[in-house]
Amino acid sequence: MLSYCFNEQVIQITESSDENDVQFLIKVLQKDPYVEKMQKVRRFFDDNRVYTDVLFYALADHTYKVIVRIDFYADFILELMKHRLLESVEWKSGQ
Amino acid sequence: MEQQAIWAIGIFLVIYAVIISEKIHRTIVAMIGGIVMVAFGIVGQEAAIEHIDFNTLGLLIGMMIIVGVTAETGLFKYIAVIAAKKAKGEPVRILIALSAITALASAFLDNVTTVLLMVPVTFSITRQLRVDPIPFLIAQIMSSNIGGTATLIGDPPNIMIGSAVDELSFMDFIVNLAPVAAIIMAVHIPIFVFLFRKSLRTTEELKRTIMELDEKELLTDLKLLRTCLTVLTLTILGFFAHQALHLESATVALAGGFLLLLLTGEHMMEEALTKVEWTTIFFFVGLFVLVSGLVETGVISQLAAQAIEWTGGDVTAASMLILWLSAIASAFLDNIPFVATMIPMIQEMGNMGVSNLEPLWWSLALGACLGGNGTLIGASANLIVSGLSGKEGYPITFLKYSIYGFPLMILSIVISSVYIYLRYLV
Repeated sequence: MLSYCFNEQVIQITESSDENDVQFLIKVLQKDPYVEKMQKVRRFFDDNRVYTDVLFYALADHTYKVIVRIDFYADFILELMKHRLLESVEWKSGQ
Repeated sequence: MEQQAIWAIGIFLVIYAVIISEKIHRTIVAMIGGIVMVAFGIVGQEAAIEHIDFNTLGLLIGMMIIVGVTAETGLFKYIAVIAAKKAKGEPVRILIALSAITALASAFLDNVTTVLLMVPVTFSITRQLRVDPIPFLIAQIMSSNIGGTATLIGDPPNIMIGSAVDELSFMDFIVNLAPVAAIIMAVHIPIFVFLFRKSLRTTEELKRTIMELDEKELLTDLKLLRTCLTVLTLTILGFFAHQALHLESATVALAGGFLLLLLTGEHMMEEALTKVEWTTIFFFVGLFVLVSGLVETGVISQLAAQAIEWTGGDVTAASMLILWLSAIASAFLDNIPFVATMIPMIQEMGNMGVSNLEPLWWSLALGACLGGNGTLIGASANLIVSGLSGKEGYPITFLKYSIYGFPLMILSIVISSVYIYLRYLV
């Protein structure tokens, strides 16, 4: 299972899951440059021709609800990492 | 019948059968068909090039560039979310709003482009509401074909007819086809709601999540958006005025497309040109040459003479024959090759003494565009939406679609028959 860490001064992430999806609520606390990075993550999944993999819903105050299909969970986490919205990602064995 | 004509018919039928079988991509098949017509000497290379209708191709390319660049701004997602919020997250109202937006957009943009813009937004909204996306997608397929009927640029059959008949302007298409398209949409929307009513239910909590969406975040580049909207408006105004300006519709669309690239800069050009569906463009090229073989060998003239004999040269009978034949054929066959064959036939009927061709052109447009709603293989937009839906885990089967599509298509053709009769034939 993937485990990740983030800087709580920059971003807040909460995660919940059901049978098919993982839902993230992501609040970007520092607008520059992290909102733009978040938009790049969104654009990546908007442009990849799979329409239901990762769905973004922009809410007020730079808060994003993101519904991620379970089979795209790792892709989403790694894209956040690529744009340095996460500080570290690691595989936790035995879980 | 001359030997050349027999060869032309043989090549045409074989190519048509392979296109219908969908075993090989239709573009490859049509291009090979066109090449064979030239290689067998049925039509010379110069004559073949003369038969390729640049106006149809230029119009499609110009509009694809404009829409491809405009889509980058997030405008279409923004409009859909605004509509969902205006509908207060209520699935029935969202279905109506998205259907209406699809029909309106399809009137001014190519149908395939419209559904490619609407499908991702539909998945996004329906997932948020936890409702089945299939009713929304079926309603959008049908709305795109109905909306596309309303204008010269809305659907390939109309582009081809508008290009082939100099007397029919952009305004003529709107004046003659938009009213009946609007009536058909007004009749279809309550039927969509009734048919899909059981799937259009969600909770109050989920409706509230739609109202919380911040649509402004979707507009990613306001400067580019302003440029796109300016060019799009100028282009549509250009369509309205194209006859007065003595410009072909392709010149207007290409002027709009390349003005937009001039204003947005070179970096956008590569991306914009990849948005042009070159497979569709080459499909048209192959078909024009393929049909030219039938025209040059006199096959089309003989078919026209036969049609006049069947209908006794009566415009009412010919209009109804063309309307219903086009609708049934377009429900099962690709309407582009069908219309490519019918256009020279109607022109030939004019040469043979049928004086009032106008109802025949509108019958062909209505039959070919609306007939596409009959089955899943009736139009490109249907195949694109069902393909995308299946890939995302929501299969729309041929039978499932036809149960809704075919009766509604017949209803639309009944409405069109009454319209054609009352407006042009009484």
